[in-house]
Parts: sequence; C-alpha cells; structure tokens
Amino acid sequence: MPARTNHRSPRRLMPPLRLRRLLPLVLLLAMMAMLMLRGYVHSEILADHRIRAEAPADRVPRQILDGGPVVDTRGGRATSLDVPDHRIVLTFDDGPDPKWTPEVLDVLKKHHAHAVFFITGTMASRYPDLVQRMVDEGHEIGLHTFNHPDLSYQSKRRIDWELTQNQLALEGAAGIRTSLFRPPYSSSADALDNASWPVTRYVGSRGYLTVLTTADSEDWRRPGVRQVIRNATPKAGRGAIVLMHDSGGDRAQTVRALDTYLPGLRKQGYAFQNLTEALEAPSAHTPVTGADLWKGRAWVFLVTTADDLTGVLVVGLAAIGVLVLARFGLMLLLSAVHTRRTRRRGFTRGPDAPVTAPVSVLVPAYNEAKCIENTVRSLMRSEHPIEVVVIDDGSADGTARIVEDLALPGVRVVRQHNAGKPAALNRGIANARHDLIVMMDGDTVFEPATVGELVQPFADPAVGAVAGNAKVGNKDTLIGAWQHIEYVMGFNLDRRMYDVLRCMPTIPGAVGAFRRSALNRVGGMSDDTLAEDTDITMALHRDGWKVVYAEKARAWTEAPESVQQLWSQRYRWCYGTMQAIWKHRRAVVEKGPSGRFGRVGLPLVSLFMVLAPLLAPLIDLFLVYGLLFGPTGRTVAAWFGVLAVQAGCAAYAFVLDRERLTPLISLPLQQILYRQLMYVVLLQSWITALTGGRLRWQKLRRKGQVAAPPGESTVAERSAA
Amino acid sequence: MTTTRPADVTAPAPAPRGGRDRYFDLLRAIALFRVVLYHLMGWAWLPVVFPSMGVMFALAGTLMARSLGSRPAPEVVRGRMRRLLPPLWLLGAVGVSGMLLAGWGPDDEGHPGWWWLHLTFWILPLSDPPYGADLPGVHGLIADGWAVDLAVPLWYLRAYLWFVLLSPLLLRALRAAPWPTVVAPIALSAALESGVVSVTSWRLDSNLSDFGAFGACWLLGMAHQEGVLRRLPRYVVPSLAPGVAGFGLWYALGHGFEAGHDLDDMPFAQSLWSFATVLLLLHLSPSWMDWPRPLRRWDRLVTLLNSRAVTIYLWHNVCIDAVAGLWDRLWGVPGLEEHASWLLVSPWPQLPAVWLLTALCVVCFGWAEDLAARRRPRLWPDGSRNLAQNLSPGRRRR
Repeated sequence: MPARTNHRSPRRLMPPLRLRRLLPLVLLLAMMAMLMLRGYVHSEILADHRIRAEAPADRVPRQILDGGPVVDTRGGRATSLDVPDHRIVLTFDDGPDPKWTPEVLDVLKKHHAHAVFFITGTMASRYPDLVQRMVDEGHEIGLHTFNHPDLSYQSKRRIDWELTQNQLALEGAAGIRTSLFRPPYSSSADALDNASWPVTRYVGSRGYLTVLTTADSEDWRRPGVRQVIRNATPKAGRGAIVLMHDSGGDRAQTVRALDTYLPGLRKQGYAFQNLTEALEAPSAHTPVTGADLWKGRAWVFLVTTADDLTGVLVVGLAAIGVLVLARFGLMLLLSAVHTRRTRRRGFTRGPDAPVTAPVSVLVPAYNEAKCIENTVRSLMRSEHPIEVVVIDDGSADGTARIVEDLALPGVRVVRQHNAGKPAALNRGIANARHDLIVMMDGDTVFEPATVGELVQPFADPAVGAVAGNAKVGNKDTLIGAWQHIEYVMGFNLDRRMYDVLRCMPTIPGAVGAFRRSALNRVGGMSDDTLAEDTDITMALHRDGWKVVYAEKARAWTEAPESVQQLWSQRYRWCYGTMQAIWKHRRAVVEKGPSGRFGRVGLPLVSLFMVLAPLLAPLIDLFLVYGLLFGPTGRTVAAWFGVLAVQAGCAAYAFVLDRERLTPLISLPLQQILYRQLMYVVLLQSWITALTGGRLRWQKLRRKGQVAAPPGESTVAERSAA
Repeated sequence: MTTTRPADVTAPAPAPRGGRDRYFDLLRAIALFRVVLYHLMGWAWLPVVFPSMGVMFALAGTLMARSLGSRPAPEVVRGRMRRLLPPLWLLGAVGVSGMLLAGWGPDDEGHPGWWWLHLTFWILPLSDPPYGADLPGVHGLIADGWAVDLAVPLWYLRAYLWFVLLSPLLLRALRAAPWPTVVAPIALSAALESGVVSVTSWRLDSNLSDFGAFGACWLLGMAHQEGVLRRLPRYVVPSLAPGVAGFGLWYALGHGFEAGHDLDDMPFAQSLWSFATVLLLLHLSPSWMDWPRPLRRWDRLVTLLNSRAVTIYLWHNVCIDAVAGLWDRLWGVPGLEEHASWLLVSPWPQLPAVWLLTALCVVCFGWAEDLAARRRPRLWPDGSRNLAQNLSPGRRRR
C-alpha cells in the first residue's frame, strides 16, 4: 500500500465498522482451526513416539501367555482363542494408505480372500472411501487407535479417547462400529508383559477383543518377497493370524508376496477368512445410525475439508511468496533504472526546461485551524513564483479567518459551504489564475524548493500530472516510524517502479501537480469514490497523459498517531482504490492509451494493491503453525529470510531518499503488528465491496453533493492527533 | 508539601521535586506482592511475568540518581545506608537469637574465628550474613529450615548496599558514556556465564553475578532519572526491547528452564529479561502525580506496601514458614484429611494467612523503618491520616 495523504473521514458515511472488522478475524481464526485439525490428523500435534522396552511378564496369567492370539478380557474374563487349523486370518495394520491399500484390496479380491484391517483414526479420517471399500468387499475392520501411540505410556483417559476417536472416524467413513482392537507395537500373545497386560485388560473392560498375531510377516523390513512368504506361512496346516502392513512405507513386496502366497496356501488347503468367519462367531461390525452416524460423517467431512484447504493454502503461500519476491525484484530493478535516469548528469525533463511559469497552489482546508498557519507560511518561503488559494470547505473553527488575518501577499481565501474535498478542489481550479496547479493538504508543510521541483516535469508537454514525495513529519513514535518506513518505500520504490511502467496509480493529495488543460479534459475532480486522488490519476492515464514522480519535491505531512485514526484512513484509501479500479474497469477493453493503461497498469495495480495483500495472512498463518508444530527451525529461518529481503529493500529506499537508517530497527516489530493491521483493513474493504459496496457507493454519490465531505473531522479528533 | 500538578512531559526530570510518582509506587507494590506470591507458590513463570527484583533495583536507582543530583555523594550514601540497615538489624536480633536458641553456634562451621567475623555481615551486609543451615523447626509453630528461609531474601540487601556504595561512581560513568555503562553489567554477566571470567570465592562470585544480573536495571533507573531514555526517539525502545527479552527467554528455555530452576538461577538470562522489561516499563513511565481514576481505590494499599517495603520483604519468608508449620497442624484435625485434603495440599488458602501474618510483622517490626528515616514511628502507615506528611519523600529524607 503506497502512502498518500491524510484526508479526513466522512464519518456518517462509514459503515458500522465493528462487525465488518470482526469478520476478517473470524475468517483467519477459522483457517487457523482448519490448519490445526490437519496437523492433528497428520500426527504433527499430540504425537507420542515413545516405545516401551520389554518388561517382565510375571503378572500376566500363564494361560494367556501360552494361549491363542485372540485375547478376551471382556467382563473380567481372561481367556484366549485360537484360529482353527487350515484357516488363516490375514491382518493389515496402520492403513488405509492411498497408494498401497487399493493394491492390497485388489490382490485380495483377485484371490477371493477376506482379511482384517486394523485402521488408525488419522488415516481413516483422511481416506474414508477406502474404509468403505474394505467393508463392501467383505473384510473386517479393527481399531488400531487414533494416532498410534504406545498405549502402555498413556492414561486411561487417553486410551478412551484413542478408541472413541478411532470409532468416530470409522463411523464417519463406513457407518459401522467394530469390537476388534489391536494395540500398536503388539506382537504375539507370549510377548504380553506387565506393561501391556493392564492395557489389554482395560480395553477388554470397554468391550473389545484384543487381536494379536501368530505369524509376523515382517514385511515392514522389506526382506524380499520370498522371505515375507516364508515368515507368513504357518507350520503344518495350523491356523494362524498373520501380520502384514498396508501403510507406512513402500509395500510393493507385500502386494507381490500376497499374489504368490494366497494361491499357494490355498492349494495346501487353507481358507482365507476374516476373523469372525474363521472363529464362526457373529460379525464384529454393528451398524450405527442417527446422531452417531452424523457425528462421524461431520468429523470425516471436516478432516477432508481441512486437508483440501491446506492444499489450497500451500499453493496460496507459494503464490504470495513468488509475488512478494517478484515485486521486490521488480521494484529494485526499476527504481534503480529510474534513479539512474533522473540523476544522470545533464538530465532534462523535456523541451521546455526549466519550467519557470507561475503556479497556483490549492489548499483545501476543513477545520485545519491548528495547522493552516504553518502550511501557508511554508508556502511563503517558496523559491518558485506562486499564488496560494485556500479553499475553506465550511470549517467551523475559523480556519478561513486565521488565513485572512495573516494578510499575506498572494494568498486568497475562497469560502464555500461544506461540500467535500473534490468540490473544494474544483472550486480552487476555477479560481486559480495559472495553468500549472499544485494541490496540497491543509496539514502539510512544503520546503522552499518543493513547488519548483514539483512542476519541473511539465517541461515535457506530454506530462499531465506529477506526484511529489510525501514524508512523515511525526516519526518519533512507533506507529509514526512504521508509517515512515512505509512512506519511504512507497515513494522511493513503488512510485519509481510505477513511473517507469507508466501506470502510477495515485498522485498523493498531500503533494501533487496538474496541468490545467489535463484536468479540464477529464472533467476535474470527481466524488464518485472515496479516493478522488486515485480516481483522477487513473482518468489522466486513460486520457493519454504521462504521470511522473518528482523525488525532490518533498512535503512533510502529519501521519495518524492512533490505531483508530490509522485504521479509518487506510480503510478509506483501500476501499477508495478498489472503487477507482472498478470505476475504470472498462479501460481493459478500450483502444489507445486508455487500453494500454487498462491492460498493463490496471492489472498490475490490482495485483499488487488489492489481490496480493489478500494472501498475506497466509504468511502469518503458516508462521504460527510452523512455530507450534512444524519444522520450527526452518520456519524461523524462512521468516527471517523474508525479513532480511524486506530490510534490504527498505534500506535501499532509505539510501535513495538520503534518510537515516535508524528507524529500520522497528521493522521486525512492524512485521508482527503493523502488517496484520493493514491486511485486516484490506479484508474488511473486500467484504464491504462484496456485500454492500455498490449500494453505499451510490448513496455516497447522492449525498456527496450536499453534506458529505471527505475532509470532515471533529475538533476533538484533531486535537487528539 | 505534596504538589498535585499534572505531569509535565517536557520537563527534563520525570517527577518534579517534592512530588511522588504513583506509577513507580504501583510498580513497587506489584513487585512486592509478586515476590511474596512467588516464595509461596514457587511458580517458575512468575518471575518471567513480572521480574520484581529488576524493577525494584531500577526504582531504587532512580531515587539514588535523584538524590545524588542534589546533594553531596557521601551524605546521600550515608543516608541510604541509615535507611536500609536498622530493619535488617531488627531481623538479625530476632533471627540470630532464634538460631542460637535452636542450637546454632560458633563451632557449626568448624572455624569459630571466621564465624564471629562473618557474624558482622548481619551488621553491614557486604556479603551474605551467615545462618544455621539445618536447624529444626518448632513443631506446629514453624517448619524445618526456617533459618534458611529467613536468610534467603538477604542477598537483595547485600546487592542493594553495594549498588548504593558504587552509585556515585556509576553515575559519573553514566554521564560520561550512558549506553556503554548501562550495558556493561550484561556484558559482565555474559562473561561469567561463558566462563571467560571466573572467580573461586563464592562470596565474590555471588556479588559479581548479582551485579551482572541486576546492575543494568539499577543503571537504567539512574539513566531514566538523568533523561538518557528521553533522548532516544520513542520508537527505539519498543523496537529493541522485545528482541532482547526474546533472546533472554530463548536462552533460558534452552538451559533447563523449569520449576526449581528459573530465571533466579540463570543470571545471564535474568539480566537480559529484566533489562528488557524494565526498559519497557520505564519507556511507558507515565509519571502519575495523581492516581488514574480506576486505580484510586488501591491508593491506601499501595501506600502501605511502599512505606513498609523493607519490612515486608524481610519478614514475609519467615511468615510463609510459620504458616506452613501451622498448616501441618491441620493434618491432625479429625476429618480434614479424609474430606478436605485438597485444602491441606493447596497453597492457595495459605496465601491470606501469609499476608495476615505479614501484616502482623508490619505492626510489630515496621517502626524500625520509621526510626531509620528519623520519623515518628507509626503502626499502619497507609497514608489515610496525614497524606502530606507521609507521602513527601523530600520530607522523609531530612
């Protein structure tokens, strides 16, 4: 957002701000919540990777250690079951996986085998379709906890949570619940120990059968297809529960092994059934209906949405990254070009150089009693011949009287009923005697050379308007220093770039010069938008005039000192710029200079000023996310990297403007506090534009003629500044 | 007399002479309350939220610089010592007698000669005064280890005394080279932390390490009084202080920050964090000659805490021990253990008891502060009776 001017707010036309201000925040929070959800199902949050070493087993009942792989501890029991001979229950842990699970399912289908899939809640939430397919194809589902911690480390509450959340995902994915459970990091029954046995008993008390294994294929080690088959083959026709994995890495060996293993063992007389078929028991699945079902579906919907959204956000982040860096690159390059061009020895602006024609300076003022004397007196020191026209826009604080009492030569006061800044400027143009017209604000102070420098570019008859270099006078406070940085960058990088590209979007109201003939051709100032300065600049571009930047025409202006004032100023600029872009949208399809501006300038300005900043919150979103869960070191490094680029550009701008570099120490904090304010304002403008913008705009146009001046502010507001 | 005129922000001195900056009074009161809360609860994050000791040193530094600006140095130093020491002597008289009664004596450290010599630190605490390390408590009256707890807060007086003694020198250095002087203690702290500088004597080491940790705060207070901070553009402090604080916190988190090992045990991290916080607090420094309306109701409490700061600081830890002893007795009350054991375990119900007992100490021992200030002793100086008489520091000093 390049800096411009301080016109004051037409208060009663502003929409009620509070709600609109809340909405962007809510939007940000919602996105953050979605990111958190994603982090949570991707096990980046709450993940616990500890695995317990072997413990003694003296407190595990003998009959369990020596018994079968299906352990029944329901209702205080401690019994176990074995799979009958010539039956194999294949079990796949840790899925579903988007790549390998479908291949496993295909192989099983090809050989008409049923199996049991022990799914984790995180994976089931993300790939619900695969779970549904498992159920549809006759396989059984078991729980494998939500995000795979070693349960012997966890509290009962956490175990309950792991199971409930896992069931929730299953309900959402396939509309069923299951009573089968396999603890993470488990193996055969004789490996139960004093640490895992209490977990098994507790899970049983919640109504689950614990399903352990008899044969571990060890496919996760990828020992080769033959070895997997050897590991998975039980001795001499015995029944078995075989452990395999369909997730957690490359499972090509598992799939190939199955393709050989299934027909091979079937020839030996084996049947491949799911667990309850093999045990000839009723199915472990129970369908769920009603509230539980919808809860599950809502959960799965949220998770998949969060996943999709994250994908979109990552693309957005990449886009903003590229845009920001590209913009900085372009700015550095073009401002270097501009500087070389204008500071070259023997540089002339055009055939009419030097410009010595007298100039009319217009000072629209509304309740500027405090500043107007400084403003006018600074003009008196001008080295260039001028006349000053102060247009009093119906002030209530005697602004006009103050100027009249000064009785300065060459200063006239024109009074009008309160009609707004554009009307005041038009009245000033009508009263001005000269053909070169400088416009400034009532609270701005010029240097003696400012007017002369500002009109030099008119030596080129093609130049219709000139933007000066507005500088922050009150940069002592933090908020002042931040705006100072912003102004210096806005004027020394942005404006030089726009000058070279010939699409300067705004002549600042605080310091700008116009050719009367140019103003007349576009019909003077208009109150169609809240940003009449942007509006007129775009109109001049469309009329084929060159608009250039005069770096040495410095004007010192008073920047807002409270967040509230800054907010409403920026809201006006931002929304006004959007209005102006919308007003001049037709330029895109027009011919001639208008078309050139419409197809080069307008898209560029829209991209840099209203579209790219829309993505800026992503930087902070991913910063917070990365700090909390992500690769913290890399996140911090990336953030400092961007900061360094920014500091480099800012330093370059400061050097161009011959400013002291010390205010740049406030740059890091600006990135944490000020930038956010700016994009929330932008979001708010977008929301206004998309919801009620058109309506308000028309209302403004109608009311603007009578009693709605941009430039209105109360005395109290003034004295607070 | 107290003049109640609005703060003049353009004046070189923050508080016109004779007026009392209520903002500083508020900071001192919060600091004191935080110290008591911390000694009872032991939360490691409490000194992070409000680094009391740094704030107290900074406030003292401000007053010291103000006095040195108007009166000859020896007189100021003598006056400060006179104000500081009598309350300590009173604590020593009660505490050391108690320790002797509990069986502490010259032979406890194996060097009776040294013991007698070190005992003089109770009179002039150039180093930490000695105490009986493992004396038994009195059942139901005070818990074991009370003598240690009695001696815990004394480092502050020792450090304060040294700062007072060095102040004329510090002020001269500050005037010659403001910022290098302010930052020097942090550099000392860094040198001690990295091992570039190391001393074997623990007495010297503790002096150096406290000077490193809090010297910058004391100097910041002096710099504030001298108008050094005012000469900076307003954006400088809020831009830099968070960085310094962040570095300090990062350092602390990387060096085993946890309950029982907090900023108080990490002088370097402490020096950075306290420096940054004090810098921000002094930067804000609104110079209230009058209370802002919402705070007016706290006036009497803040006044009391300020006029009895040393007493409260010296005695509160003993009070905590006494309350702990009392609480132990409750286990014997039938039914309490079964039905309300949370009451016995939780420190929260002890908090009001601690303050009640501290208030008792204020009544019993607070007069020493008045004597030290050559004032008529008062029981409960909350400023309610004679505002002008109590509040004017100019009056109190003479």
